[in-house]
Amino acid sequence: MVKIQEQDQYIIDLELQNEISLFYYREAELLDTRDYQSWFQLLSEDIIYRMPARVTRDSSSGSDIIDEMSYFEDDYTTMKTRVDRLYTKSAWSNDPPSRTRHFISHVRIKKGRNENELEVNSYFQFVRNRGNQTINDQLTGERVDILQRDGHDWRIAKRTIYPDHAVIGTQNLHNFF
Amino acid sequence: MNKTVNKDHLSNIKDMLQTGKLPQWIMTDPEIHQLEIEKIFSKKWYFIAHESEIPNKGDYVSRWIVHDPVLVIRNGEGEINAFINSCTHRGVHLCTADLGNKKTFTCPYHGWTYNIEGELVGILAGNKLYGEDMDKKEWGLRKVPKVESYHGLIFASLNPDSEPLEDFLGGLKWYFDIMLGRSNKGMEVIGAPQRWVVDTNWKVSAEVFVGDAYHTAMTHRSTVELGISPKDPLFASNGYQIQLENGHGLNVIQPPASVSIPPYQGLPEELWPMFQENLTEEQLSVFKNTMVFNGNCFPNLSFLSPMHGKGEHENLTNFLTIRQWRPLGPDKIEAWSWVLVDKEAPQEFKENSYKRYVNTFGPGGTLEQDDTELWTRLADASKGVTARDKNLHFNNVVNYLMGLDFVEPVDDFPGPGIAYPTTFLDVVHRGFYEYWQELLSKES
Repeated sequence: MVKIQEQDQYIIDLELQNEISLFYYREAELLDTRDYQSWFQLLSEDIIYRMPARVTRDSSSGSDIIDEMSYFEDDYTTMKTRVDRLYTKSAWSNDPPSRTRHFISHVRIKKGRNENELEVNSYFQFVRNRGNQTINDQLTGERVDILQRDGHDWRIAKRTIYPDHAVIGTQNLHNFF
Repeated sequence: MNKTVNKDHLSNIKDMLQTGKLPQWIMTDPEIHQLEIEKIFSKKWYFIAHESEIPNKGDYVSRWIVHDPVLVIRNGEGEINAFINSCTHRGVHLCTADLGNKKTFTCPYHGWTYNIEGELVGILAGNKLYGEDMDKKEWGLRKVPKVESYHGLIFASLNPDSEPLEDFLGGLKWYFDIMLGRSNKGMEVIGAPQRWVVDTNWKVSAEVFVGDAYHTAMTHRSTVELGISPKDPLFASNGYQIQLENGHGLNVIQPPASVSIPPYQGLPEELWPMFQENLTEEQLSVFKNTMVFNGNCFPNLSFLSPMHGKGEHENLTNFLTIRQWRPLGPDKIEAWSWVLVDKEAPQEFKENSYKRYVNTFGPGGTLEQDDTELWTRLADASKGVTARDKNLHFNNVVNYLMGLDFVEPVDDFPGPGIAYPTTFLDVVHRGFYEYWQELLSKES
């Protein structure tokens, strides 16, 4: 579990809240319209992109995140490989393409490591439909981002995705979260 | 007549295999699935954990032998026992955590408590309710009949008459020595296993790992297009396919003469003296020149030890992943994937090895995400009338003809098993299904 922060640690600023929420909606749109190259432009070159593994533990045993094992452990180079792969003629996991929706909510903004950065927590629900499936695959969880200001826009410098699932319920994770 | 699996159907599979064909109906057939549980998964050795996952007294992991919940605990003497993870009072799933450390396990239903030896040590208000007649010794957790390890791999068997694990592994031990027994302190699991669900049958994933080097050029063509996998479709055919007893098999993929690779899969030089200490000359000679080991320990423990780069051909880094394909049904598996590294490897290598694994394998891996997609497509197409017909009226057989009757074994390969001079073969696949058929056909 990511620890719940005290209310006064969040930045209460409606304009910023709107700006960051819209940034995430735009990000979701790029992913869900399969414009992965434009999405890739949102990453900073020192991106750290991770999805640590979840396990089931007794409440007395502490964190149920296993930081030493993950489902994504990427930097700019490996993310570029992932994105480029989706534009090849033989990325079967997404060809025929999946229909996806990224629902992002509960955006909470905190001060970042310096004045150009924000730390942002959000919830995500990722829904994927493939082929003639009538029941969608889904992945839910929380994201913790470091966003960097880049002129009038933002870049994702770090994203840690905490899935709710100890057993990932989809055959693969060909998308981004 | 076409509905129930009978002896003729089973013996027909054997006949078909001898001609390089496999009836398609067996792949996701619900009755076959039940037979596999009865005659394979309940009878043979089943991988449950690696010793490094439970290094200390009271450490435990919760695992499954298909649908049997199993609690694997290290006791005070450092021994590892496995128990059916079900309270003996009313049968409730006792420990639902995946891992942890405990002195005792208490069932939340009525409070019966067991120690790390599996003994019943506490009954809530016991004396007043059960009197003197009930002997607590008779109500301990039920032990899994057999638990044995090889180089840290813990296997269990629900069959008290199982042959010793080492007899079952047979020639596979020689190759496990190379992958798991080469350094002085052995291997350790990084973090915890990745787990994910795939709508396919366990045989599909097991047979890819046992020896299907042929799939790499097409299934993983996206990485060929990107220039990070070799263009030559025959590249992965160099080396040997090794058929072993009891349905085990593997590929030992070596580079073509024109390609040079670092010795010992590029593992850190600090470890090489240990390899020389722990392995025989013959094992070293194979290990030194090999790029990839992939194989399957029958029935459903697969392994893969490849070398992968970060997006270019330089800095190819080795990792070792072992897999258990837990059947959840005839067309569903839960994939468990552990990543192992030499305990004595430098930290930097451990991190690189782990990263190369996560980038390329597991559900998010750039290679494996395409495997699972195709495994589900195989299962999807095996459920119709024309696929399911047990009398094969629709010629519903799939093709395992590669190399049949024209690729001959070599006699100068130093390792055990029957070695063939290419990995593009269906020899080990046929071996896997021949042993599978033999077990399904057994009376008891």
